[in-house]
Amino acid sequence: MSEPILTVRGLSKRFGDFEALRHIDLDVNQNEVLCLIGPSGSGKSTLLRCLNFLEAYDDGEVRLEGELIGWREGGASPRRALASGALRKQRQGIGMVFQQFNLWPHMTALGNVTEALMQVKGLSRKQAEEKAQAALEKVGLSDKAGNHPANLSGGQQQRVAIARAVAMEPRLMLFDEPTSALDPELVGEVLAAMKQMAAEGMTMVVVTHEMGFAAHVADRVAFLDGGRLVGVTPPSEIFGKEPEDPRIQRFLQTYRERNVV
Amino acid sequence: MNFSFETIWHNLPYLLAAARWTLIISLAGMAISVIWGICICAARISSSRLLSGIAALYISFFRGVPLLVQILVFFYILPYVGLDLPAIAAAIAAVGLCSAAYSAEILRGSLQAIPAGQTEAAHALGMPPMSLWRRILVPQAIRIGLPSLINELILLVKVSSLASVVGIGELTRVAQNITGQTYRPLEIYITAAVLYFLINLVISRAGLLAEKRLKVS
Amino acid sequence: MELDLFLRYGPALLEGFGVTVLCWIVGSLGGVVLGFILACLYRWGPAPLRWVIYAYVEVIRGTPFMIQLFLLYYGGPYMGLVLTPIQAGILSFIVYGSPYFAEIFRSGFNAIPLGQIEAARCLGIPEWRIVLRITLPQMLVPITAPLTNFFIILTKETAILATVTVPELLFQVQSMMAETFTYVEPLLALSLFYWFMVTLTARFGAWVETRVTRHLSRA
Ligand SMILES: Nc1ncnc2c1ncn2[C@@H]1O[C@H](COP(=O)(O)OP(=O)(O)OP(=O)(O)O)[C@@H](O)[C@H]1O
Ligand SMILES: [Mg+2]
Repeated sequence: MSEPILTVRGLSKRFGDFEALRHIDLDVNQNEVLCLIGPSGSGKSTLLRCLNFLEAYDDGEVRLEGELIGWREGGASPRRALASGALRKQRQGIGMVFQQFNLWPHMTALGNVTEALMQVKGLSRKQAEEKAQAALEKVGLSDKAGNHPANLSGGQQQRVAIARAVAMEPRLMLFDEPTSALDPELVGEVLAAMKQMAAEGMTMVVVTHEMGFAAHVADRVAFLDGGRLVGVTPPSEIFGKEPEDPRIQRFLQTYRERNVV
Repeated sequence: MNFSFETIWHNLPYLLAAARWTLIISLAGMAISVIWGICICAARISSSRLLSGIAALYISFFRGVPLLVQILVFFYILPYVGLDLPAIAAAIAAVGLCSAAYSAEILRGSLQAIPAGQTEAAHALGMPPMSLWRRILVPQAIRIGLPSLINELILLVKVSSLASVVGIGELTRVAQNITGQTYRPLEIYITAAVLYFLINLVISRAGLLAEKRLKVS
Repeated sequence: MELDLFLRYGPALLEGFGVTVLCWIVGSLGGVVLGFILACLYRWGPAPLRWVIYAYVEVIRGTPFMIQLFLLYYGGPYMGLVLTPIQAGILSFIVYGSPYFAEIFRSGFNAIPLGQIEAARCLGIPEWRIVLRITLPQMLVPITAPLTNFFIILTKETAILATVTVPELLFQVQSMMAETFTYVEPLLALSLFYWFMVTLTARFGAWVETRVTRHLSRA
């Protein structure tokens, strides 16, 4: 495996008195797919949102290719947040896909993808539309470019959201339960698009309840519980045999009982 | 000319006495508004096209004409048709009848928020329509609509100032009269504004309390 | 029938109508602009400014328009603010309307799901651009109905300007009544006229609403 592209060291996040994340250490390698699993409320979303500074983490560091995310370098205490322009620059390198799609309903599918290309990357409308068309094509939606989100199925909306993020050519993609809001028959098309991205070498961190995806696509699986990182292992260690950690055992047990795996 | 607290102090008793009339107009108006509003609401949602149409027309007309003009109509036209109400009664009636149009719409919205299953359950029990309305629908509608009704009452406190135009000695009118004698509009009108604000503050706080109480029970 | 009466007073009534519309349009547009500025300052301004705006909103909304009008028109000269009736009318309209409009805009800002804003932030779109391209266009949907509603309230509020001798419609009708001792026809005609104006505004608002919500319905 190659160099880590993302390093997380001693990451902690509190909401008031509640410790949502406790001293997380984690590396994500170039071209790797890392799945984050864990019980509800264990802090998966919070961890993901710290990685692109949607949540300002309290202690520790998140570095993308060595660059500290969100905070200014240097030992000032308390730390000072980056200027908004610098933070925006960092975020351009990190794409994110949400459970609720978060498309902009007043713009067409194409408009959703071109918006940031024009406003952030400064492309002309023509260039942006070409690029957006290519991104939509990739997720199999070139014929839906003119539709508003209200006229797309959930699976199609999520694929537009993926195209929107991918078109910015990020170095890292974050997915927060991208299929959890979808009807079961629509899950497959979104997972297929993600699999294709993985095959093309995109570095991805995926929070998911789709154990099948974790077992077959992930290079490694990280298990989070109560704000702590319990373990990071190849999927075969978790799904192949009985995992050693009783917490992971219990978590997987509930899945098996629901016939999810 | 500097700000004279003395003027305020001297005239405060008169303004307070006048504020009583403001309260009387708005509370009496509100009582008419809710009771008459229930009737209009019932007509509006009744299955009779005629009743419903009349109610819709009523609502549209009373919401479409400035209350000040309505008060003038009541003041000038009622005597003309042989109904010689005292000015204060005309003002209260105008305020109440106008506000009823709004209350009716508030109640209609609240009624729609009550699950249809409740009505069906009552029908299944063989409950007569009158009891269904009196015991089940209206109490709930008022509870759901309470925040909006409180808002309406606050509105009435404010629009009761319009009664000054037909010479009723409520807060605004008395403030005008005092200003005419003292030539201190700044002091007097600010005091009147503070009194209006305090009345509304008390009403909105009481409303919040009532809302909380109703929710617990 | 008193038709000739209306003809005789035609020019005065027409002038009154013009003044009514002038006060209404200038006053409400001014109120919208001031309200929008207040809502923005409330959302992005520093804490002390937010308290001031909060107090302003509460005080204006807690007091009658008539008192505000009297304060401005009769009290104004004592604060060095001498206004003609029409100026006072328009200015008090702006002051009176702005907190209501500010509240409408505030709720409009809040109506946009945070996730959409976050999605934009993730792509590195600047905050002001997010407001311009994502928040504002979508805000039109939830605010059209309350905006129309308040424009209608303001239409009716113009009648109150008569009390400080703004030569608007009600004022003209009142002088007509005083000179001719006829009350019934002028008042009824005036009522019908306001009703017509209000209904027209409401229709227009409904038409705008269907236009701005078009993209939300399935084709
Ligand atoms: N903004 C917030 N304020 C306060 N507490 C929060 C906030 N966001 C998250 N939390 C708390 O932090 C904990 C972790 O939340 P998080 O959303 O990261 O869980 P999760 O693992 O993503 O769960 P799920 O599988 O249900 O999405 C939860 O207990 C949650 O209540
Ligand atoms: Mg989550």
